[in-house]
Amino acid sequence: MIRIENITKYHQGRPVLEDVSFTIAEGSNVGLIGPGGSGKSLLLKIVCGLVSPDGGKVFIDDVDVHSLTPQELADLRFRIGMLFQNYALFDFMNVGENIAFPLHQEGGFSDEEIDERVKQALIDISLPGIDHLFPNELSGGMKKRVSFARAVIRRPPILFYDDPTAGLDPVTSSKIFILLEKMKVEGGVTSVTISHDIQGIKSICDRFAMLEEGKLVFLGDHDEIEACEIPVVSKFWQGYSDDELEI
Amino acid sequence: MDSGSTKTEDPRREPTTFREFLASLGRPFVEIGDTVRGIFAVFGLTLYYMVRGRTRWKAIFEQLHEVGNRSVIFIAVTLGFLGMILIYQSGYQAQQITGDLQMLGGLFLQLLLREFAPTITAMMLATRVATGMAAQIGSMVVTEQVDALEMSAAQPIDYLVVPRFIATTIMTVVLSIFAVLVAYTAGAITAQLSFGLNVRTFVDMSFIGWFDVWMGLTKAVAYGMAIPIIACHAGLNVFGGSAGVGRATTAAVVNASLAVVILDFIISGAGYVILHLVS
Amino acid sequence: MHRLVSRLQLPFSILGEKALKWANITGGLILLTWQIMLNLLPWNWNFDGPEIWRSMYRVGVQSFPIVVVTAVLVGAIMVIQSGLYIEQYQAHGLLGWGAGYAILREVGPILIGLMFSGRVGANNTAELGTMKVTDQIDALRALAIDPVAYLVMPRFLAMIVMMFLLVVVGNFTALIGGAVTSQVLLGVDMMLFYQSVVTYVLLDDLWHGLIKSVMFGFAIAVISCYFGLATRGGAVGVGRAVNASVVGSAIAIFAIDYFVAFGTL
Repeated sequence: MIRIENITKYHQGRPVLEDVSFTIAEGSNVGLIGPGGSGKSLLLKIVCGLVSPDGGKVFIDDVDVHSLTPQELADLRFRIGMLFQNYALFDFMNVGENIAFPLHQEGGFSDEEIDERVKQALIDISLPGIDHLFPNELSGGMKKRVSFARAVIRRPPILFYDDPTAGLDPVTSSKIFILLEKMKVEGGVTSVTISHDIQGIKSICDRFAMLEEGKLVFLGDHDEIEACEIPVVSKFWQGYSDDELEI
Repeated sequence: MDSGSTKTEDPRREPTTFREFLASLGRPFVEIGDTVRGIFAVFGLTLYYMVRGRTRWKAIFEQLHEVGNRSVIFIAVTLGFLGMILIYQSGYQAQQITGDLQMLGGLFLQLLLREFAPTITAMMLATRVATGMAAQIGSMVVTEQVDALEMSAAQPIDYLVVPRFIATTIMTVVLSIFAVLVAYTAGAITAQLSFGLNVRTFVDMSFIGWFDVWMGLTKAVAYGMAIPIIACHAGLNVFGGSAGVGRATTAAVVNASLAVVILDFIISGAGYVILHLVS
Repeated sequence: MHRLVSRLQLPFSILGEKALKWANITGGLILLTWQIMLNLLPWNWNFDGPEIWRSMYRVGVQSFPIVVVTAVLVGAIMVIQSGLYIEQYQAHGLLGWGAGYAILREVGPILIGLMFSGRVGANNTAELGTMKVTDQIDALRALAIDPVAYLVMPRFLAMIVMMFLLVVVGNFTALIGGAVTSQVLLGVDMMLFYQSVVTYVLLDDLWHGLIKSVMFGFAIAVISCYFGLATRGGAVGVGRAVNASVVGSAIAIFAIDYFVAFGTL
């Protein structure tokens, strides 16, 4: 269970997250939506302890993430997988080394075991036999899939996806969402997904949260968001704008 | 009102009140203080992980290659020119004033060891190596690779800074020795061609004492430790895309060069005092 | 057999690649210098006065503090280094000559030049490089504005003028730093230092350093603008461009210094 309490964060004196609180139950899949610059990625980074907030607390399984020592934080992160917006593949390692890296860091695996799991992971993302290639030789969709394989190689119970389809064409996007859906069907995973792809996010999430200018404006399940009366939420959900362009 | 929200102001705005004027005077000092504190924090963590962490020989060798082999030609060219320039200028002066060039080679070697070889080598490494490191680590920060390292439970300082720190410290010493050889050879050739000074007369080790060797080595080690720490600090603190990487590389070369000059001053001054106490 | 042949070809292909790269850079530098010269022709003058002032202000403000700090320390270091010899031969009257000559003629311009290239040159490359990778340069071209006239010329003029002025300031502060060090650390009276500088250091030495500073400014300006405009490949490319710019500037500084010394003696 992830509990986010009153998270506040300033950037150059301007609040980018203001008093955001919500709870993610074990096994639920939350879709985090909102316009660009509303603080979604920042919130995700605060939740996994990459950025410390100016106010508020984050508890993962009743442990305060921001009060941990580096070693305890490392142990916690063995149970979290993260798919980054910009792929974040290590460009000085090849694909195989990239995927195996979290296992090497955790330790306690034999080389054969790691090889086996990397091979299986590549089959799972239907890119078998590319482990010798380097990230700069891959297309955007392939990088996303490799990044996904790296995120899930430890089979973590908590998964964060930061805009898994950013900058991808519709066909590749749907492939990514099929992967994420498979992850959900296998079950037992708590996940948070940031995406602008409403159709895709509907298929993999059961609860939705919306941020607008650093504030949480909506939290609820699929039926609730469909019926939501708040204008910013319903407009964003249906993907239209009736505002005049300000000139 | 929250203290955080009052800070929104355009830095280019003219200060209107006395308090703002004072604040604009103080801000650079606060920034310098933050930078220095950050650099020492990185230094402390690097030493901690060097002792505690696993030694990654492969990464260290890669960095040794990156820092050493790829700087050799650059160092050879610049220090070769420096050797020729120094011999030109000092030989000319010596000819004008004393007319005696017998001591030129010996004194030149002594000055190279004490001052010019380690310092100019370090200045060159501060441009080539520090910008390279800051750019590389900075790009890793903006493409979220450093975040990904942390999420894989690898400490960025342990993983990225420690190998660079070890490799640069070793290579600065090695390249300083190489620099002495290059500059001295270039100086000997210049002395032969321009002043007709025999190479046998030029090669004169009689001035060199342990003091000079220790001075040069201390400087090289100090520079070699300072440069990677400062460069990695600049790289790790990047924010904001390609403009941020540009800012970080500039900060790296400026801070590293300044650190070299400051360390040079401190070590030279300390050396002078020690020499006085001994004699 | 095929592998052996390709193995044997490898050094040549690397050599060829390097040669092509260097030829490319040299050609680009010459071309940029040529374009700058064309813009300097009197009938092509199309200068944006306020923009040049702004550039000069930026360049000066950016580098003034570090040049002063560097100069003071360099003065002190030179005094310490020559002090060791002065004491050996008990020739306190020559301290000002030794330190002053070294500062004004060689060490001052070189170290200030290196600092200037690190602070202003690197910053300039980073700025232009960021504009290049975010397509701002192409946008200028699309608006029929010549990037050389619009972006390079103000920086070029500002950097040459400011480098000259900074070396003037740097020389002065370095001598002050030297005088203070000689008094405090070596116990040589400041007045003796001052007299020694005035008596033995020639105006010629000062000019030698100042002329070099203009040439360094020219080289740093051209090199930093060239590598900035030639940037490719996102954030990584900007980092690489800055690296190439400072390395190129450092080589240029030492090469120019050598040829000036060679030419004047």
